[in-house]
Amino acid sequence: MTRLLSSALALSKRLFNLIFSFFYSIGEIVDFFLDCVKYFITEKFYFNIFLKQFIKIGFNSLPVVGLTSIFTGMVLALQSYTGFSRFSAESAIPNVVVLSITRELAPVLAGLMVAGRSGAAIAAEIGTMKVTEQIDALKTLSTNPFNYLIIPRILAGIISLPILVIVGDIIGVLGGYLICVNLLNFNPTVYLQNTYNFVQFIDVFSGLVKASVFGFLITFMGCYHGFNAKGGAQGVGQSTTYSVVSSSILILLMNYIITSFFFRL
Amino acid sequence: MRKKKIIVKNINKSFKNKVVLKKLNLDVFESESLSIIGESGSGKSILTRCIVGLLDYDDGSISFGKLDNIKTLSDKEKMNYMSKFGILFQNSALLDSLNIRENLKFANKKNSLNEILSEVGLPQSILEKYPSELSVGMQKRVGLARAILKKPEVLILDEPTTGLDPIIARQINLLIKNLVRKKKITTITVTHDMDSVYEFADYVAFLKNGIIEWYGKARKINQSKNSSMIKFIKGIN
Repeated sequence: MTRLLSSALALSKRLFNLIFSFFYSIGEIVDFFLDCVKYFITEKFYFNIFLKQFIKIGFNSLPVVGLTSIFTGMVLALQSYTGFSRFSAESAIPNVVVLSITRELAPVLAGLMVAGRSGAAIAAEIGTMKVTEQIDALKTLSTNPFNYLIIPRILAGIISLPILVIVGDIIGVLGGYLICVNLLNFNPTVYLQNTYNFVQFIDVFSGLVKASVFGFLITFMGCYHGFNAKGGAQGVGQSTTYSVVSSSILILLMNYIITSFFFRL
Repeated sequence: MRKKKIIVKNINKSFKNKVVLKKLNLDVFESESLSIIGESGSGKSILTRCIVGLLDYDDGSISFGKLDNIKTLSDKEKMNYMSKFGILFQNSALLDSLNIRENLKFANKKNSLNEILSEVGLPQSILEKYPSELSVGMQKRVGLARAILKKPEVLILDEPTTGLDPIIARQINLLIKNLVRKKKITTITVTHDMDSVYEFADYVAFLKNGIIEWYGKARKINQSKNSSMIKFIKGIN
């Protein structure tokens, strides 16, 4: 009986610690976010760093996002054909392709790709700077690390992701077009007309809103985990893993939340 | 007449359950070179980080000139306070995404870089190189150049000779000695290296288990009766 009681006590203690550390982490993330907002409003903005990051996160991710989009569009056209041909609804394929790409696939896949590529790089770079005291050096050189390292990256993420998604939308639709026209013998003009007539502003807009939010999540989590890296190389590796895992999960979670918000409109 | 520059009064610092600094008291005097020595984990680097403002201490106070307790400074005031220090970090901490010119310009945009490079014994050809292209000794020299370029009130040297071979370590010690003597700058050096102490320290503080066990003139260090310090100096564990 005593053993049972003590193990129950130990279990509840562990559970309490787990819940406590969860809420503590949330508190720290919120604190980090508020610091970002405060320093963004009150201190210097490094436009040249922002531009560098915009190119790194946005422009340099174009090949990855482009490839992901074109293959997704192609697969989507093929799979839709398999299903729709069973009840003679092949003409709906352009509509399904454009809707799926703009509302869902382009933003989510671009988000996940950029999280793996740029989010990890941000966490590794800032984490290395943290453990090698470069961030401390910045502070003693009268430079606020939030303004120099964090804010330009977050803004670059927020702005570059929607642009990447617009490119992804076009390439994804093109992928579907190539399959339908070249493989499934669709009329090219009719395909394009169907696509153009069917797509609405809200479809593209909701995808861009998602992209902006994902851009924020990816860069914010990368910066947060990098900035809080501890120890040496192991700590940097851990921060990179945390950054990719947390931003990927948050992308999927926010995707649902934003989708349900636009669903009600 | 010695004039106090930094007064550390009864400061405590602990991490979770580990107490690192225990009611520590220390005075740093203007234009003097103080070396803080002690074994690894004795709290030397934590103490200097508290003095610079990179780390908050739990209680006690650190005063700098007319500033009473640096813990009470606002973010902006703390940033200004930190700019009074020039720091040579243990790993030099040069910004590796910037070349040497950009690294040095970060510290002071106005000063001539050629002058400072010749002071630390580096050729101008390194200006366009990146930190990763330099040897550890050269990185230390650039770190030192960056630290003095901003004309700090206090120079902090964190393990200036760690990771260097004896010949380069000697060169760095001589370089620091010449700079400290020439510029008459208040210097705090955290070191394991007794050669650094003998070379350029005026005063020495021996730190053990978070307290100053011995404080005195560097030239009297070998007359000390403190057994822990004697063991440390002789390299006996």
